[in-house]
Amino acid sequence: MLTSEKASSSVISEGRLSMESFETESARRGRQLADLYHRYHIDTEEVDDVQSLPIRFLVEIGKVGLAKYIFKEIIHYKGNAEVILSRPCTYGVFSGPVGGFSPRPHLCVGCLRCTIQHPEFVKVLPNPERLSLGDSYTTHGHIAAIDEEAKKGMVPVRGQGYRGRFGGPGFDGMLTDMSEIVRPSRDGIHGRELIGTSVDIGSKPMHLCFDEKGEIIGNTPKMFNIQVPFIFDIPPGDLGTEKLIRVIDSTSKEIDSLACVTSSDVERMAIDSANIIPVLSIDEAEKSSNFPNARLIQLDGWDSSAVDTARSVSDAMIGVRIKFEEGWQPKLDSAVNHGVEVIHLLADLHGRGEDGQFVTELFKEAHLRLIEQGRRDLVTLIGAGGIIGADHVPKSIISGLDAVALDLPVLFALQGRSAGSLVNRAGVIGNLPKKMDEGWAKQRLTNLCGSWRDQLLEILGAMGIREVRRLRGEFGRSMIVEHLEDEAFEGIAGYVGGGN
Amino acid sequence: MTIAKPSEILIDKTTNLLHNGMNARAFGDFDIPEALGDARWTDELILSTWYMAETGKVPEKLNFKTGNSDGGFDLLRFQFLDESGWVEHSENISTKLDLNRRGDEKNKISIDIPWYGGGMSYGSVSVNVMMSRARNARRWNSFISTGEGGYPAELREVEENVITQVATGYFGVEEDTIQAAPIVEFKYAQGAKPGLGGHLLAAKAGEEVAKLRGSVPFVSLFSPFPFHSTYSVEDHSKHLDWIETVNPKALLSVKVSTPHDVDMVAVGSFYAGAHIIHLDGGYGGTGAAPEIAKKNIAMPIELAIPKVHKFLVAEGVRDRVTLIASGGIRTADDMAKAIALGADGCVLGTSDLIGLGCTRCSNCEGGPSGRGCPWGLTTTDIELQEWVPQDWAVQRLDNLYSAMQWRMRDILRKLGLDDVNQLRGRTDLLQYIPKEASE
Repeated sequence: MLTSEKASSSVISEGRLSMESFETESARRGRQLADLYHRYHIDTEEVDDVQSLPIRFLVEIGKVGLAKYIFKEIIHYKGNAEVILSRPCTYGVFSGPVGGFSPRPHLCVGCLRCTIQHPEFVKVLPNPERLSLGDSYTTHGHIAAIDEEAKKGMVPVRGQGYRGRFGGPGFDGMLTDMSEIVRPSRDGIHGRELIGTSVDIGSKPMHLCFDEKGEIIGNTPKMFNIQVPFIFDIPPGDLGTEKLIRVIDSTSKEIDSLACVTSSDVERMAIDSANIIPVLSIDEAEKSSNFPNARLIQLDGWDSSAVDTARSVSDAMIGVRIKFEEGWQPKLDSAVNHGVEVIHLLADLHGRGEDGQFVTELFKEAHLRLIEQGRRDLVTLIGAGGIIGADHVPKSIISGLDAVALDLPVLFALQGRSAGSLVNRAGVIGNLPKKMDEGWAKQRLTNLCGSWRDQLLEILGAMGIREVRRLRGEFGRSMIVEHLEDEAFEGIAGYVGGGN
Repeated sequence: MTIAKPSEILIDKTTNLLHNGMNARAFGDFDIPEALGDARWTDELILSTWYMAETGKVPEKLNFKTGNSDGGFDLLRFQFLDESGWVEHSENISTKLDLNRRGDEKNKISIDIPWYGGGMSYGSVSVNVMMSRARNARRWNSFISTGEGGYPAELREVEENVITQVATGYFGVEEDTIQAAPIVEFKYAQGAKPGLGGHLLAAKAGEEVAKLRGSVPFVSLFSPFPFHSTYSVEDHSKHLDWIETVNPKALLSVKVSTPHDVDMVAVGSFYAGAHIIHLDGGYGGTGAAPEIAKKNIAMPIELAIPKVHKFLVAEGVRDRVTLIASGGIRTADDMAKAIALGADGCVLGTSDLIGLGCTRCSNCEGGPSGRGCPWGLTTTDIELQEWVPQDWAVQRLDNLYSAMQWRMRDILRKLGLDDVNQLRGRTDLLQYIPKEASE
């Protein structure tokens, strides 16, 4: 994929091709374009923790029992050091200077060999402090996964099989498909090395019109692309500190994505750039002119006159943020009718609309509504709310989005802690590490994005799909557990369907 | 730190402590460890497996039937008859399973229990574990699959009970190991990581492993996805023809994952010549897999079995192919439910390892120590693998299988059946427990 827009546009802007020179000239320009190509890559690098999660396990040792045991062994094995000093732990929990008398529980991975081998005086317990992280939706498991992804920038790989519940609510109720014999390309080890994750932001006309000279007339595509189908949303609650905004700004530039920032912050911090999406309230639409470098400006709510005002003072595309509240559908219709190029749909942080529907259904409804109207490509759908795991990205796109916006994952990628509700955006109380170095934070977010992109590639590779744009609205490449259960268990006594 | 083969005295000490500790937990001498278990393999399920592996009997005080995953097998129960309709529990209740139903000239193979051991490659597990499983399979007139890691010389001793697996990296696939095999298994995909191929981390690709796989020691090994020679069912058919040419008597097994069109895949494989269609569900085990794949890609086995079974019935070929299910099958009850949903038999993997001490800590791939399983199961570490003495492990698996067969017969007799083959597709004997009722 081309990641140098200026360079590519300079090749293209050398003038129109004449029919006489078409062959040689197009070959020359094609070569020039090809020479500009480099494979998109996110530079990940493992970084240290500054505020580690609470350890997974607590290790309790009965010191008297241990002392008796050692004494017994010394007698029994007659001082054989190899035997007496052998430890039941390969991870070093008991390898400190005084062995088991001062265990190092931060090294424990929960293999439980010690407590099985020495049940009389070793206990390994899940750490309640860790289990209490997050809330009923954003669980300690999600937070731990994000923490690991942001630390290492890699796809989490483990042994043994799946450990969780069968299906489940929300995103857990959707499975993605795979193909036994198809892969995205014949190149590379698995064929997924050349899968594209770039997405178009903006509007494509449903058809092009040409005049008699072959010149395009009427609407032309108005869009740009970013290299990953996720952007950073406005930090929820009290998280939007200047430091955090600088971090998401710099990370979005690093990975060629976008960051939504309130217009007041953009102005105050003087960070107007192509990667920043200033978000204005509808009564400040005229301030859109203050952001000459923005490619996309969002208005926080739908109001046709506000959009007109913004358009009249800015060349940027105008997007509209619409909450999944009562009446969101007509707002969506009106906004698209009015030529709004980007719609940013918002659910609460548990992924629910006001009516309690989950985002997969809501995204699907928005997508299908536009399909039925024959206008889907006129607008880019971005969605946010409840997207806290790598698998939620492809599942949202399958549900009809072009891209997703990340909110809470930023907090946990930076090893922040939450206090209280994680449902309403405005109500989020988060504590980022006090001594958060911006370079460290940028690398953590870059790592998270690298890991999520790589996991997206795994999903696409398994399906045999070679670019994420083709995944949009591909409901057929997903499987809904409830539907599968209906098919499998229909007719079995007691089965009533509907996820019950 | 230098890691050397431990002395006999240390092996003796460690194995005694481990074995006594497992028994103490399984027999209830100590409380159940709070950190043990998860939704699929609960603490009681793990301890009951240890109990069965030690005693050969099902426990009275532990739930050895279901997990707590809130779906699938865990919400299915059998509708047993009144006691008056029960068949007497005896060896006359047949658990035999024929694997060749095509009526062709190839091997006529019948196994004594309706399950065999799934593929675990040398490298992902030690020779001790491989040999223990294979020797146990011989006791039960059943099989294990080599997985994709070659054919250690020790396996020759039990080659009548070993399935040679041909997978996408072709590691260790040789003419003589195909010719030695009563069954050859093509692995197209694995349930835990469908569509993603395989990856043996460098730390586990030691000298012996590399030698068998024809590679360089301590270099990561990838099995690509998919077979680079297969882009259609016709290509698949040629694959099977190739094996038939090398070993005309071998049964052909095709192991696939569970995508939405798994029914079509199964029928395609049947017409390509497969004797065994082996479905590996999404919740299956692995030595290493991306977490995102385990949970999200492809469907759980409970949902795939009836889909495939019904389609094969509709195609009129159901009785000419053996349908084997794996991936998340933990207990005799799970196996009986899988058969009632439409499978002929099952493949076990994780259950074997649990029987030998696995606690599902998920560090099979190496973990922070880089040495692999601390219990000595999924490792080729020169010290750790000694914690699994072969004779002990064979007996544990033998006991576990005895208990499982006993329970299988117990289920059959309470349904008024005297042959496991009578259970196939009998969804009328199942009952679904609504989620709220199971809580």
